[in-house]
Amino acid sequence: MGKLIIFGFFSLMAILSGIGIITLKNPVYVIVALLSSLIAVAGIFFTAGAELVGALQLLIYAVAIAIFYIIVISAVPWQKAKKSETHHRFEGLISLPVVLLLYIEMIVVFLLGVKASPEGEIAKLIEKIGNAEVIGAILFSKYFLAFEVVSLVLLVGMIGAVLIGRKESQTYEDDTT
Amino acid sequence: MHSFWVDLFVAIIKISVILGIALGIGAFLTWVERKVAAHIQRRPGPMVVGWHGLLQPLADGVKLLTKEDLFPRYGDKFLYHLAIILALVPATLVFSVVPFGPEFEIFGYKVKPILSDVNVGLLLVFALGSMAVYAVALAGWASNSKYPLIASMRKAGVLVSYEVVITFAVMGPIILAGTLSTYEIVEKQVEQKLWYIWLQPIAFVVYMFAALAEMGRVPFDVQEAEAELVTGFTVEYGGMKFGLFPLVEWYIEGLTLSAIAVVLFFGGWSPINIPFVGFVDPLFFLGPLSPFVWFILKTTALFLFILWLHWTLPRYRIDQITQSAWKIMLPLTLFNIVITAVLAPIVWR
Repeated sequence: MGKLIIFGFFSLMAILSGIGIITLKNPVYVIVALLSSLIAVAGIFFTAGAELVGALQLLIYAVAIAIFYIIVISAVPWQKAKKSETHHRFEGLISLPVVLLLYIEMIVVFLLGVKASPEGEIAKLIEKIGNAEVIGAILFSKYFLAFEVVSLVLLVGMIGAVLIGRKESQTYEDDTT
Repeated sequence: MHSFWVDLFVAIIKISVILGIALGIGAFLTWVERKVAAHIQRRPGPMVVGWHGLLQPLADGVKLLTKEDLFPRYGDKFLYHLAIILALVPATLVFSVVPFGPEFEIFGYKVKPILSDVNVGLLLVFALGSMAVYAVALAGWASNSKYPLIASMRKAGVLVSYEVVITFAVMGPIILAGTLSTYEIVEKQVEQKLWYIWLQPIAFVVYMFAALAEMGRVPFDVQEAEAELVTGFTVEYGGMKFGLFPLVEWYIEGLTLSAIAVVLFFGGWSPINIPFVGFVDPLFFLGPLSPFVWFILKTTALFLFILWLHWTLPRYRIDQITQSAWKIMLPLTLFNIVITAVLAPIVWR
């Protein structure tokens, strides 16, 4: 009963802040709404007993990623960054089918995943060796290839970011001597 | 149903004890800090209000509460106040995973002196610790003023850099203990008869550097930098609203980070350790209270060490701070992780 109330509270918070993300005008408020929805989702993970995922949700999404949005946006004068009334309405309409497609894909992947892993198997494992260990064991055995490929993608992204952000050394030649 | 109410009752008692510690002692620590600082600089410090100025925090609190409440023109009122809450709440929440002592029994009911022993406690500490960035960034932005904005950008940069470093630094003890739960890490150290500082000196030094940076203590207090930025991102805050920021940053975060350092490196509630041999307890006459006293003693010692540094050292520049984070501290921690991962199985398995 208590669990249900807490779950309801967090999901309500997640939905409300989700609505806030798309309706609020001031970009800093949007980020704050995003933050609140991310924290609410972490709360849902905690009520579901997935502490590791919840903590990672807090650590990676709510802190590491959202903070860069807020640093960038708070450096921009917000009157300029404000969403105007007519902006991107047409593009939004065009993107609707794509968004729908993505949702369908998500549902298909979810159903496939449910079919692939027999019910209760992972739950039993969690009870036996604990949350963090289960994720480690699965990542480094069954999904090892996917895990490594993802880390490669991240590495490529990082190199790209460094290349783009690099200062051209010849532009800043020391001509004081 | 019966045990549910008992659990709830115990949880409420724990929460009130922790809040009492966090906020009550937090305010009292201002007096400790001023006294320590004064004696380092060979002056008496607060002497007038109460015996040796003991009531000074109370007087300061009354002064702060009765001050005029100013608000910057064109500032953002909602975010301005939200920043205060975002600073206070996560910092206090960290206490929920700090284990104060071993499990004990009262009226036949087992009580763990830790609010919630989640099995990823340590991750939570750092997740909640990093939440401080939002308070800083929002406070700077909502004040609608140049100095706070610059200061908040600086502080956010320092926090983000050192958050990475501190997370890597604690990997060493985690590898040795094989768990992320703060309570179990201490239990492991008692079991292995070893404070992790003996095997993890590098990790401890890096942790202390990062902890100083996170609580904005000298030598990493660029966000304050009175000479350049007035008082940093809190310029536009007045009265008790201003008072809360240093209270959270310097005292509450100072206490939690010291407590976590004690948990990770000094064996939590265990008495003095001789590596691999056992524990020596000069406080044995306290009986079941001795673990709690040890925990408090160690945390206090670390906190006083931080104060000592604060009132002795000069300040780094912002580029020196971030450079030392990324170019020295991070490679050091990575080196430490590799060494630990190689050595740990040899020692124990």
